[in-house]
Amino acid sequence: MSSTERRYFSPEIETMPRSEIAARRDERLLGDLLPWAYQRSALIRETWDAAGITADDVQSMDDFREKVPFIDKDAIRAFRDRHRDPYGGMLCLDPKMTEIFSAIFSTSGTTGDPTPAPYAGRGPSMLVREFWELGARPRDHFTYCLFTFRGPGIHDTIRGVGATPVFVDHQPTDVPQLVRFSRELRPTAWYNLSGPLVLALEQHAARANVDLAEAFSSYRGVTFAGEPIGPRARRLVEDGWGLELFLHTGVGDVGAATECREHDGCHFWEDTCYLESLDPDGAEPVGDGERGELVSTTLLDKIAPLFRYRSDDLVRITHEQCACGRTHGRVWPLGRKGDEVVVDGRSVLPGDLWEAVERVPETSAGLFQVIRAGREVDRLRLRVGYATDGTGGVADVRTRVTESVHEAVGIEPEVELVAHEVLLRQGPPHKIPRVAKQ
Amino acid sequence: MFAKRYEDPPEVWGVSRIVVDGDVTPWPVAQADIEDEAESLAPRLAALGLEPGGLVLVVAMLSQAAHAVPFERAAGKRGALYSSADATPFDAFRVAALVRQLEPQVVVGITGGVLDGLVDAGREPAEVLGSVPAVVAADYDAHARLRAAGLAPRRSVQLGPTTAIEGLDQNGPVYDATRWSVEEVDGELVVSNLVPRLTEARQLRTGVRGRVVEEGRVSVSGSG
Repeated sequence: MSSTERRYFSPEIETMPRSEIAARRDERLLGDLLPWAYQRSALIRETWDAAGITADDVQSMDDFREKVPFIDKDAIRAFRDRHRDPYGGMLCLDPKMTEIFSAIFSTSGTTGDPTPAPYAGRGPSMLVREFWELGARPRDHFTYCLFTFRGPGIHDTIRGVGATPVFVDHQPTDVPQLVRFSRELRPTAWYNLSGPLVLALEQHAARANVDLAEAFSSYRGVTFAGEPIGPRARRLVEDGWGLELFLHTGVGDVGAATECREHDGCHFWEDTCYLESLDPDGAEPVGDGERGELVSTTLLDKIAPLFRYRSDDLVRITHEQCACGRTHGRVWPLGRKGDEVVVDGRSVLPGDLWEAVERVPETSAGLFQVIRAGREVDRLRLRVGYATDGTGGVADVRTRVTESVHEAVGIEPEVELVAHEVLLRQGPPHKIPRVAKQ
Repeated sequence: MFAKRYEDPPEVWGVSRIVVDGDVTPWPVAQADIEDEAESLAPRLAALGLEPGGLVLVVAMLSQAAHAVPFERAAGKRGALYSSADATPFDAFRVAALVRQLEPQVVVGITGGVLDGLVDAGREPAEVLGSVPAVVAADYDAHARLRAAGLAPRRSVQLGPTTAIEGLDQNGPVYDATRWSVEEVDGELVVSNLVPRLTEARQLRTGVRGRVVEEGRVSVSGSG
């Protein structure tokens, strides 16, 4: 078998025995990262001191799970505001060390101020494993459709599998070039597709009479990220455009996870992170494959390490071996804990509403928000984006959305219709906030 | 770094693009092209006040990678850091946040769209950018509006595959005449490479209306 025909990019890591995964984790976390960070990160020192522990108290993974206190986004923001530290006390090194750092990037800022993150990367990231699985090979073109503020890590990684990045903006305005470059350069992989981009492509295809199945026929794999994909959009992209989608998700700000060709959960790399799935309202672990809150720990980041970070993400996690042969765990993202709304004692997540909204032709783009002042509300209020050029009147569309949602979740919603653009403006380009206070 | 690299790196660093009067031309560039443009830009960033240990905020689009990444690499050659934001109305909030948090010495690539985004968010562009020692506008709209707001913006302009950027003297955008030849043809600037590039430019139209005021310096007019 030639090197380009192999199934895995890094077989020795991707199929590593679980005992070896655990041994590496223990060595990195207990032997290196914890003492390093406790000495240097002001946030960790403050949080651990408040819990009455030091790095010396954590000698085993049982100690880790039992003693190490949680950190969440609110704690980081509170530290930032209290100490006027834009990095929230997370840094273990001075960001002005230009012999180490080359740049300072920032988080997407969907839920507030973007958090700056010093970058010391040189060369490809572990996403080479995912890009290889997508089907990218040396001398291929690879569509890189994202933003600038994520830095060079992704395009360095594309080159890391020997492919050439084709730069495209993750913007509706750049969709014509995305289609054109796909036709002319015949890329084999594409990072990233998102719900708003699916809508823009659908509109462009209708307006310009473009056959997207023909334009996209060279792709072997496309990542989909930002937020979940609804059933209608998935059918459109997979059956209509012939693309094989690989769901791609962040894991608690310590890494990423991506589906393999089995499409049975997103692999996270346990040589880079340690993930727990805990009772969303407590500290107890849930069983393998059960719904819990993702709590993440880095095994890699010595600059701004996170330990036991409560991500607010609801997930299922399994450590059972995948049919693809990889031994690392898999995660299924289910939604955000903070996006849950409880109406008359009944829990509703945006994911419960997706298909009902998509089912109405004028709102089939699946752009909607749950309006809630707090977690518990008397009425389910929705703001739904609709195609203003549809044939039905607004009142008629509202009635059909109301009925569709009622049928799906058993709760009659109060529906406000707005043009798609009103919601898309709330971006970032690859997603919209699914919950709004008003 | 952590992940291994495929043993055979691609010859083409990436496919960026050149846009002239709305027409897009795919533009493959090599790693050597990026590094050479960075070498060329580093002294011009220094002339704008970027010091070792300082930071330049590069505002651009990903599709402009062949123009934006040399600025990023040039910061490193200067011993400085860089940060990034998209040149869109939506990402204007990031420009405002990063200026406040990171206190850059230089911001390059501000467009009229970015200023629109600041205004939409209820922010005064002069208030957001007023603390930055050197602000470089990437289009006529941004340059005119920042001047009208009482700032002293510099101007940059893409001349095909390269970038001309104005210094503190505000005497017009400066290009690297050792690497590029710029001429005026019927009121439009055209560019040719004098040193090897993966994709050759031979009297390439730039879409920029202007003139060469002296070797290495242009003046641009109107919406150029």
